[in-house]
Amino acid sequence: MARTDPALRAATARMLIVAVAAGAVVLPLVASDYVIDVAISIVTFGILGLGLNIVVGYAGLLDLGYAAFFAIGAYSTALLETLLHFSFWETLPPSLAFAAVSGVIIGYPTLRLRSDYLAIVTLGFGEIVRIIANNLDITGGPNGIYGINPPVLFGFEISSPATIYGLAWVFLLIVLLFTRRLSASRLGRAWISIREDETAAEAIGVPTLRVKLLAYVMGALVGGFGGSLFAARFGAIDPTGFTYLQSITFLIVVVLGGMGSMPGVLLGAVIVGGLPEALRFLALWREFGFAIGLIVLMLVRPQGLWPARIARRVPLPEDDAGDLRFAGAEAKRGETLLEVKDLGRDFGGVRAVRGVSFTVHRGEILSIIGPNGAGKTTVFNCLTGVIRPSRGEILFRGQRLGHWAPHRVVALGLSRTFQGIRLFPNMTAHQNVLVGMDPHHRVSLVGEILGLPSARRDTREHLGTCRRLLQFVGLEEAAGRRAGDLPYGDQRRLEIARALGAKPELLLLDEPAAGMNPTEKTALMGLIRGIRDLGVTVVLIEHDMMLVMGVSDRVLVMDHGTLIAAGEPAAIQRNERVIDAYLGNDTEADETAGAEEAALWDS
Amino acid sequence: MQAFFQFTVEGLTIGGFYALVALGYTMVYGIIRLINFAHGDVFMVGAFIGWTVLVTLAGTHLPIVLALFVALATSLFFSGALGVVIDRVAYQPLLAAPRLSILITALGVSLALENGVLLIYGPGFLTYPHLLGTAGFTIGGVQISYAQTTMFVISLALMFALYLFVHRTFIGTAMRALAVDQDAARLMGIDVERIIQITFFVGSFLAAAAGMMEGLYYTQINFYMGFLLGLRAFTAAVLGGIGNIPGAMAGGLLIGLLESYGAGYISSRWTDVFVFLVLIGVLVVKPTGLFGERVVERM
Repeated sequence: MARTDPALRAATARMLIVAVAAGAVVLPLVASDYVIDVAISIVTFGILGLGLNIVVGYAGLLDLGYAAFFAIGAYSTALLETLLHFSFWETLPPSLAFAAVSGVIIGYPTLRLRSDYLAIVTLGFGEIVRIIANNLDITGGPNGIYGINPPVLFGFEISSPATIYGLAWVFLLIVLLFTRRLSASRLGRAWISIREDETAAEAIGVPTLRVKLLAYVMGALVGGFGGSLFAARFGAIDPTGFTYLQSITFLIVVVLGGMGSMPGVLLGAVIVGGLPEALRFLALWREFGFAIGLIVLMLVRPQGLWPARIARRVPLPEDDAGDLRFAGAEAKRGETLLEVKDLGRDFGGVRAVRGVSFTVHRGEILSIIGPNGAGKTTVFNCLTGVIRPSRGEILFRGQRLGHWAPHRVVALGLSRTFQGIRLFPNMTAHQNVLVGMDPHHRVSLVGEILGLPSARRDTREHLGTCRRLLQFVGLEEAAGRRAGDLPYGDQRRLEIARALGAKPELLLLDEPAAGMNPTEKTALMGLIRGIRDLGVTVVLIEHDMMLVMGVSDRVLVMDHGTLIAAGEPAAIQRNERVIDAYLGNDTEADETAGAEEAALWDS
Repeated sequence: MQAFFQFTVEGLTIGGFYALVALGYTMVYGIIRLINFAHGDVFMVGAFIGWTVLVTLAGTHLPIVLALFVALATSLFFSGALGVVIDRVAYQPLLAAPRLSILITALGVSLALENGVLLIYGPGFLTYPHLLGTAGFTIGGVQISYAQTTMFVISLALMFALYLFVHRTFIGTAMRALAVDQDAARLMGIDVERIIQITFFVGSFLAAAAGMMEGLYYTQINFYMGFLLGLRAFTAAVLGGIGNIPGAMAGGLLIGLLESYGAGYISSRWTDVFVFLVLIGVLVVKPTGLFGERVVERM
């Protein structure tokens, strides 16, 4: 898409919104009941699309049974009205509650599944709900429930097409506001982070299981809300309204419009709701024409008709409210922060790490070096809970680790970067840092959605810290850029800023200098010392000897899964076993060893 | 106990159909990570092509066995070709696009096939020629027809042939390489697009075989028949561990049995609930299906 001036863009968007709003208001005054009915369908698709967009577009979880939530909302409203004589408005809270609970029921057992398995499980859930509705007597079986009273507002009955149309719009606007606030909230960022890279998100402190569950619950809430509206609109419901095909149609709304894009989803709703009507002239060929149209549209616009844009606007406040503060700053230097005892990890028959013991003292910079395959990253993965150690004990601040989920280890104060960069490429630099900071953000979700003043104040402070972190690693200028577009060295520094966002007491850096040029490496050394000066203890894995020898207080050397040496940099350089591990101890190699040795330490 | 064995016989027969269709889902998923929603409809098209040929040949005085063979060959070949065309037109241009886009075109193709057949053949049921009869034999009170036996044997033979194809031929090896790492396979000189097309051909070929057998077995076909069967076959593929060929075979037979027992012991109204609950239960305990492989991620 061509780059356009943001101001012009905003103006166009504003005009478009005004035009749509004007059209929406005028429509019931001029159009026939048939057109109004189509418009109500489009608005309903919009509501359901926005709800499913939370699950599919933001969190990246495939859901092929979304009609289940729609059904639960509709049946709840219908049953409460006809059996318990609730008014329509009184049915809304319980019906939303039922939908949310069903979101938990479907979400909880399926959270650990990969998305393709999720597809069939959600599909199955949708079918189960429909079949239950079809088979039980209380739900009226195949005949469904009829005689649902229309909603009454101040003695006025909402039953004519024009008034239902108005009600539908009110529902849509509520859902729009809700999903918009959600997507800008901390939860919204967490969803996108797990869509981008779930493992990385977990490893920097995002509680991925809870975040995914909340995606289902929020999606279910909106689906149930739409279902209640559906029941009110028709006054009668039956199981044929909640088929697998219906779920698929909602999915088409989202993907055709543009996953994660609100205007896209609304456009998708217009097409899915309106195109079949526009194709009526095809008579029998209508469905076929719709299918072909769908294929062609997808081929022409694979990203959707109106793809989601990455927010370029950086809402970081300019004022500086103080320095970066870390918990470790006040603590005593030199005390034991991390203690690893006899750590071991096997992969099948391979003993990747065995009998590794070491201690990390608060306030030091410790490097772990060793040839490729020595087991360095495996040690990091055991420390951060990404993999479980086969043997041994890890004590961090006196707490036993080794069986905790990565995000809980981060919450304890141990965060990391990755050997292969694992940023969230389709988020901006500042959003990446915010995701790292968010677990410490104590503002309530309700406050964020309602836009309470206290929440706004907290958010402002949060953004200020984000800016200072970016400033600290020298990326303030890049705050609004897409992380995936940054140069390599900047990506490495951004990963460090993201890890620092978790306010760690111990930071693990996995080959931070890989791919950096000498100038960048020198700057990195300064950065690592700066991190230590903030009160954060640093452990790094690195191959670059200039950097290791220049920055470390102590060095550990690993080879073949064991620790072969530990000590100050100068002592390590003279250690025979270390030299052997790096250069081999063949007699033939002896002649060149001297020269290579020099090159090794100087590189 | 007699009832149990009777349900088992019925379950294995339909399970064979599910397994053949599940193979197509699993092979395509294995190489391009696509849930090919149109696959169940290819099965349906296979049944319709076979019906058309059989009805056309009914006027001539061709021996029944020969007519069946011609119908089968035509149906399998054209369905295989249909699979290739679908891949070329609707999937290959989108291989680099977001994964859900290609899922939506798959849904579009599925709708197009269903409605296309609806336009040509109409919405009602068509009756397949009654060629099989109900003759059979009885073991301990359990009735087994020759038709059931033959179909089960054909299903197994096709699966075995596929197994040999995938494990003993160059193309099969290339397919497996593609499933592991498409880029590496391309660098090794494998014509990736062609292998994908062959995969679609083979998958559709097997689905059409199942389609014709289903037509002959139940003697009624309808434009909508691919939907339910596709759903079951897809469930079977996931149950066995999607992407895993022996898993799809076992999953297909298992779903056939579950359906048969479910209908026999509970109620056919609740069969799908039963099948899906078993699936969800299995996935909760074993998240990659019964025979799924573990994916190792490097950090």
